[in-house]
Amino acid sequence: MDGAERPLSKWKQPLLKLRDRLRPSGDVNLKRLQRKRALFALLTRRLWLIKFTLFLAGYLWMIYIPSPLWGRGTYIDENALQPAQVNTNWNWGDVHAADRHLEQLECIRDGNWTSEQRARWLKEEFGKHGVVSSTQRYSFSTSLTTIHGTNAYAVLASPRHSGTEAMIISASWLSRSGEGDGTINIRGVSTVLALAGFLKRYSYWAKDIVFVVSDGYLDGMQAWLGAYHGSSQSGLYAEPLQFTSGVIWTALNIDYPGHSFSHLGVFFEGLNGRLPNQDLINSFERIARYTAGVSVTVYDHLDPRAEPSANKAPWFLPQFIYNIPEVKGYLYQANNIVRHAKYQASGRGSGVHGLFHQFRIDAITLFAVPAMGPHGFHAIGRTIESTLRTMNNLLERLHASFFFYILPGPQRFLKIGLYLPSVILISVAMMFHGLSIWSNAGWVEETLPTEKESKVQSTTKWRRRRRPIISALCIMIATHTLGLIVFNIVTTPWFMKNPQALSPCMLVLGIATPLLFVRRVGTDVGSAPTFMVLKAFNLCLSSTVISIITLLNFSLAASLTLFLTPVVALSSPALSAQVRLIKYSAYASIAFAWLLFHQSLVDVVWSWQVLSVWLAPFICIVYTPLVLQAAIVCSLPC
Amino acid sequence: MLLGRRLAWPSTLLYLCLAALGSQSERFTEKLTINSLQDGKVASKFTFTTLLKGASPRDPQKLDGEDESQHYTLFPLALGQILREHGVTELHLTLNAGNWNYDRWGYPEETGVGTGAELWAWMGDGASKTVDERWKGLRNALAGLFCASLGSLDDLRTTSPAESFVPEGSLPRWDAPHQIRHASLPSEHVCTENLTPFLKLLPCKSLSGIASLLNPHRLFDADWHGMGVHVVWHEGEGVEVRLTFQAVLDPLRSLLGKKQDWSFQSLYDRTIHRGCPVAQSSEVVASLPTNAVYAIQPEPHLVERNLAVYDVNTADKPLNIRLIWPDPFTYPLEYHSDSVPFSVRRTLRGSSQAWGQLSVVITNHRSTEVKTLYLETMPWLVQFYLHTIQTRVNGVVNDGVLSNLTYIPSVPHSRPTTFQVLLTLPPKSTVEITMEVTKAFLRYTEHPPDAQRGWDLPPAVFTPVEVTKNGSYSPPLGGRIYSSTLLVDLATPDFSMPYNVIIFTCSVVAFSFGSIFNILTRKFVVLRFPPDNAL
Repeated sequence: MDGAERPLSKWKQPLLKLRDRLRPSGDVNLKRLQRKRALFALLTRRLWLIKFTLFLAGYLWMIYIPSPLWGRGTYIDENALQPAQVNTNWNWGDVHAADRHLEQLECIRDGNWTSEQRARWLKEEFGKHGVVSSTQRYSFSTSLTTIHGTNAYAVLASPRHSGTEAMIISASWLSRSGEGDGTINIRGVSTVLALAGFLKRYSYWAKDIVFVVSDGYLDGMQAWLGAYHGSSQSGLYAEPLQFTSGVIWTALNIDYPGHSFSHLGVFFEGLNGRLPNQDLINSFERIARYTAGVSVTVYDHLDPRAEPSANKAPWFLPQFIYNIPEVKGYLYQANNIVRHAKYQASGRGSGVHGLFHQFRIDAITLFAVPAMGPHGFHAIGRTIESTLRTMNNLLERLHASFFFYILPGPQRFLKIGLYLPSVILISVAMMFHGLSIWSNAGWVEETLPTEKESKVQSTTKWRRRRRPIISALCIMIATHTLGLIVFNIVTTPWFMKNPQALSPCMLVLGIATPLLFVRRVGTDVGSAPTFMVLKAFNLCLSSTVISIITLLNFSLAASLTLFLTPVVALSSPALSAQVRLIKYSAYASIAFAWLLFHQSLVDVVWSWQVLSVWLAPFICIVYTPLVLQAAIVCSLPC
Repeated sequence: MLLGRRLAWPSTLLYLCLAALGSQSERFTEKLTINSLQDGKVASKFTFTTLLKGASPRDPQKLDGEDESQHYTLFPLALGQILREHGVTELHLTLNAGNWNYDRWGYPEETGVGTGAELWAWMGDGASKTVDERWKGLRNALAGLFCASLGSLDDLRTTSPAESFVPEGSLPRWDAPHQIRHASLPSEHVCTENLTPFLKLLPCKSLSGIASLLNPHRLFDADWHGMGVHVVWHEGEGVEVRLTFQAVLDPLRSLLGKKQDWSFQSLYDRTIHRGCPVAQSSEVVASLPTNAVYAIQPEPHLVERNLAVYDVNTADKPLNIRLIWPDPFTYPLEYHSDSVPFSVRRTLRGSSQAWGQLSVVITNHRSTEVKTLYLETMPWLVQFYLHTIQTRVNGVVNDGVLSNLTYIPSVPHSRPTTFQVLLTLPPKSTVEITMEVTKAFLRYTEHPPDAQRGWDLPPAVFTPVEVTKNGSYSPPLGGRIYSSTLLVDLATPDFSMPYNVIIFTCSVVAFSFGSIFNILTRKFVVLRFPPDNAL
């Protein structure tokens, strides 16, 4: 403070210079404004670089996600769980009981019993163990078929407790292997039956245990859960449940189709991108490893670093590169993440457990990966018993660990901060791109046409111009309305019954309709071209959609950055009308390409009508119109 | 040890003298009944009754004055002091664990089987301290006596359902009327710390007589167990204290032989070595199977219909009653109970944290019409929308089932709802009542430490009644039926992240304050750029 009056020493001069720079002489406010302007000018001039960097960083980040160096090891967050801390009682006698049930079930399978007969038999078997049991009939009518089925379930009331909480052990009649192509989950059902007799012998259950053998693959459990929670659904008739229990906190779905198994695979993705609390997966993983000595895998992918059978280089990679541990690890984790993204983005989840998440129940499927050995009923029984004990320990709902994560391996995970920014960076880049086009549309550089090539900066003058917001907005609204109409047509029974014939017509109609009203779009002299405003809006809306979807369903958002972002960002009109038309047709075909995948289309509509998976409406009402807007951008005159 | 043996004789003599003395004005009886149930479980009920002859409850109008001295021999003094201090005429306290399964186990011998703690008392009015003040004192005193969280039965849970909880004894005809206070706490757990003070109230503790079978290791492992303290005044007889302990044990759980056999040793891991010398009667009643082969040892003193009766005081010691079935047990596929007129299933549907639907399904098993009072004493956490109440009989909408509805709405953060309605259940039919409810949004400090668990809601109470001609209810024999308790999820903040929440809120506050303050205190002037600096 008092140093100002002394003679200046040499080392103080740079400091003073710095001070001058920071607090210049003259009008401080004016300087600040000038500084601000200079900064904005710099940013505006370098905007293309910023956008490019953001796009590049986002995509590179996405590629880096499967790296074995990224993420960390899983851990148990909830102290109450205490996994693998109990001595299990499941023994060879119980394995024998499961074998007996299996024999009877094989007779039932070979005897081609109806689902009604089967459910009645299951009900009686539960009853013989002293557990109250009942059956539930249901039918779903979708625009394609009507599905009938009968579930069997039993409620083991917890001793010494009021039964306000419950946990579920379930097995669907059809196994997930081949997504319900008719493979019967026969050992899964016999495990559930044997568990009913076994678990009843112990008094330490603080929660009711509900055993459900659901009919079909996904439909039975959807009907049962809907009836349990009193939610109604159009097209569904389900008998009310005769016995209920309390609030269900956790559920284990058992899928054991083969004769023996080598690994227990964990499937966890739920409907519409929901995930169960990670503590449940981690507890199961530790219990299987320490209590039963079974290795856990994610899905049915075997780790090539541990399993020689899976140690094969893919066709595109020479063996010596594949043998680098990091490369091997990367490919294995990438495989897992791509599978995860498929399940999550499709919104259909990866199995029966996915239906539970919509009712705030944390659930996973234990999938016994079919193999020639070495594990069987003994290992799976012990794993389930110990996992139930862990779930039984819960005093509160699972809430401590993560609900947003990616599991690249059974013992590694990425928390949200490690993967979410990739998509957010891309969506920010899109937003910047859109905003820059928007602001460019508002200005026109007034120079003589002849001087265009000479690039004389000093003679140009910027003039404001009008931006045709209304026509751009009208186009957007029209495309979304078209999407809604397409959605309503696609979900009608007559379309679903013969998609092969109707979807090409639909495709042509969808591509042709926008051309009709686009013809009417004219450009006023002196105002910005409509395509600029439309493109700006299209980019901003896409960016907003992507960043919102990121939190709800990361995989869907990531797929959008792959399939939507380039289309939307690169759309531009051409000078000649023919090129414009070709470009438009190409873009519009991308928008409606999904119509040509008949089987997937039927599946997606079925998921919407039975499971309320919002992928079908999302594609029709959000994705297609956004791409269509990009197509219209291409078709508009410059 | 030696000293103990030397003292044993004089103390026994003293005991006998006291017993003889006490017997003039006090009478202690004990009884154990054991029933085999349909699903292979065994229900046992211990009853210890002390009658204080000629005594009467304290008149609340004399609460300010000096009370008469309390000299008891067998009557529990700790309890007597509480009763007289607060002027309580009738008191019922039950602490239960588990859910009584009426369909499988039939009607319980002791009515109060609602999960958790339930306390209700009839008290005379007219004292200088109000009934509510005395109720508060009573529950705090009982909380101390029984080591239970009865202090939590506060205003948030207290109601006055006089028609469903009619006095079991008589009420003195004082100037001021009697009032009832009732509260239940479903999340209360019962365990050893409650049994120990319970045993202390018994004249023989758990040293001799039937009470020696009360082994906490076995009783608290039972599928259902509960204890009760009932104080009733019978006009012309006196004040009666009835201490009960009920347990439903599962002999099939431990035995590998899949047989329903039971004995004192297998059920309680104890036998009776000595009778209680002050007990005027001490009997064990075991129900015998009606349509199965069995053997019972030792030979009962008396067999009445299908009941085997033993007198503990005269039986050979150690007494270990055994009932043996030669055949293994098989579970029946259908369960039905004649003693319960209807079965009840109550659920709270909907997975939303803001609203839900209360659904009550009542199935009348009888071929006659049954009338019953349906009572909900719901804390304010769940509020009813009465206009959405809908009744279906066998799936068909029928509002004629409901009548005589009384409703005291809840007051947020204080009073619970009292909802009582008379149901007329048609013969052999299923009645479903549904009602929309809204779930409360709690203050931050109102959440319990285990916030993510949810809140336990008390059971609904059904009281079968007959309606007399003048419109009043007369409860027939039988009694209340409790539904199961419920758990409700309320919107819960993420308490695991207080640090993040603090950072976020502070940032938002600082940011908005900073910008507003900046604009408010700024002076706006026009600045002109020098022309060469224009962009």
